[in-house]
Amino acid sequence: MAVLEVKDLHVEVVDQEKKISKEILKGVNLTVKTGEIHAIMGPNGTGKSTLSETIMGNPRYHVTSGQILLNGENIVGMPVDERARKGLFLAMQYPAEVPGVTNTEFLRAAINARRPKDNPVPIREFLQELDKNMDLLDMKQSMTERYLNEGFSGGEKKRNEILQMLMIKPSFGILDEIDSGLDIDALRVVARGVNAMRGDNFGALMITHYQRLLDYIVPDVVHVMMGGKVVKDGGPDLAKKLEDEGYAGLRDELGLDIELVDEN
Amino acid sequence: MVNTEVDFWEKRRQAALAAYETGKLPYIQRFHYQDWTLFDETQPLASDSGLLDQALLKTDPQQIKIVQFGKSTILIQVPEKLLQAGLIVCDLKTALKEHPDLIEKYYMTQVIKPDENKLLSYHAAFCEAGLVIYVPAKMELAEPIEVELVGDATRKQPWLHHLLLIAGANSSLKFVQHLSTIGEQPQIANLVAEVVAGPNSHIEFSSLDEVGKNTTLYFNRRANLDADSHLEWNCAFMNDADSIGDVCSELVGQGSYGYSKAIAVTAGDEQMAVNNLVINRGRHTTGLINQRGVLLDNSKLIFNGIGQIVHGASGSKADQKNRVLMMSDNAHGDANPLLLIDENDVVAAHAASVGPVDPVQMNYLMSRGIPYPKAERMVIHGFLDAVLSGMPKGMVRDRMLTILERKLIHGQRQRFSEV
Repeated sequence: MAVLEVKDLHVEVVDQEKKISKEILKGVNLTVKTGEIHAIMGPNGTGKSTLSETIMGNPRYHVTSGQILLNGENIVGMPVDERARKGLFLAMQYPAEVPGVTNTEFLRAAINARRPKDNPVPIREFLQELDKNMDLLDMKQSMTERYLNEGFSGGEKKRNEILQMLMIKPSFGILDEIDSGLDIDALRVVARGVNAMRGDNFGALMITHYQRLLDYIVPDVVHVMMGGKVVKDGGPDLAKKLEDEGYAGLRDELGLDIELVDEN
Repeated sequence: MVNTEVDFWEKRRQAALAAYETGKLPYIQRFHYQDWTLFDETQPLASDSGLLDQALLKTDPQQIKIVQFGKSTILIQVPEKLLQAGLIVCDLKTALKEHPDLIEKYYMTQVIKPDENKLLSYHAAFCEAGLVIYVPAKMELAEPIEVELVGDATRKQPWLHHLLLIAGANSSLKFVQHLSTIGEQPQIANLVAEVVAGPNSHIEFSSLDEVGKNTTLYFNRRANLDADSHLEWNCAFMNDADSIGDVCSELVGQGSYGYSKAIAVTAGDEQMAVNNLVINRGRHTTGLINQRGVLLDNSKLIFNGIGQIVHGASGSKADQKNRVLMMSDNAHGDANPLLLIDENDVVAAHAASVGPVDPVQMNYLMSRGIPYPKAERMVIHGFLDAVLSGMPKGMVRDRMLTILERKLIHGQRQRFSEV
């Protein structure tokens, strides 16, 4: 069993224009184990994406204090590629486009990065696995030779993120708003991919704004983030309650002094 | 001299010699090369084919393949049925004997003129080696014409070469050349290519330039495009030599289309400047430029993209992109777009950028576990893709990818402990 722990994590980002840094995460605590699916919900601007990017190691985000432990090892300061090889995967909200690099080439490089140099993945084995996973996600064969995310629709990009996760088989998948911008059919397909990974060797942290995703990927634990902190934990019912009462309702119930971005 | 019977040839060379004596070096924006050695009036000697990598000489009977080494022609292979259909492939000397009319009509008369600058006058006065290819009207070549041009730097001697490629009306061809050198002696190279694109012809001209370190290279590649013709340049500049040169498309005929793609990877102390020109003269012509440079170590690279639409070329389009990636703090790069427009009814655009590899792309690739150096090479491959994927499959393309990988890894070793 693998464990991902976030302990009292404080993170700031530097505003490139104003040249000032701003604290986004103000002491996040969280533990995810393989075999579990966690959902993080929260209003806009509350630090959900910052949390996922920071766990993965995007150099734009600076950890000012606290720890991120993967199986007991503090990975703060570890480069993003090393974290990935240790078992973390981030399905991004806005995946980058890399023209000139085909999907297949990219996936093979990613898989081979985890294997000894003199023992790359056999091509036949790779292609069988690829076919199987593309079928699961209703993806067209032509996607393999297209350039990585270039000209992909929003839905195609999200499927492609899940395809990578299925191929790479990380211990932990962090899914950053994979439901945003998806119609219901595409959402079902994406959920099918994530659910296929459920099992003892996989844990997930799903970041979402909407409860809708959780109808398709039922979480074991729901966390609510507000103002850069986790303010409440619960089961799937918590998500439903939020859907009914809104984030402002929960905030008032908890007696928190936080201003929500979208509040009128 | 080449052939005393050919009267016009001798007269032209005398005129070129006079022009050479008074001529001026061409101006290259933001690049100083005036103190380079670019002229050598000594006579080159014949070269020994035994020095060549014998793999270069391998052919199969369906191939059109030419190997020239210094001033010597080592191999010309053309399938018999194409010769019978009127295809001409021969070296310059042979062309002067057997097809003087072609030389008289096309050799430095229409596309490039000897008196344009001192380097071209020198070329016209001294060049004796070359290759003449004439593709008759309506001939469509299924396989690319493969040309290996090897400079002989085992002795100090100049390397002059002239390519004349004439494509008849409605013909279609792919041309691939590979420039390389053998030997370490200092030498100058002056390589000129003229392309005559007949009406409605279709030409893809690819070049892999891999000229060695102790050579100083001047090149000039230019095409005149007749009505509705289509020409693509695919130039991969992978030299170790210092070099200057022009790639130019003259869109003369109405509806002609020229797309000039170039990539350069510079390393060490190498210096390079390229003027990539597309001139819209005819109406409804399309001229595109896409240049990508990758700079390593202490190298210097200037990409000048020049799009000119002359008065009367209405309904024309000029678009260019010049991008340079700086992979070292000590490298010096510039991408200068220049649009010269003398007509109202046109569409023109340009873009230029100089910078490091895209950090967003890097983070994405690395977030999948790909280590930094490998991710960087992938992003650079992608950056150079327009030319890499435009080169026809085969030996030259494989060679290009090998050199690219070698250069990038070498450059990375200067920066990272582990590659």
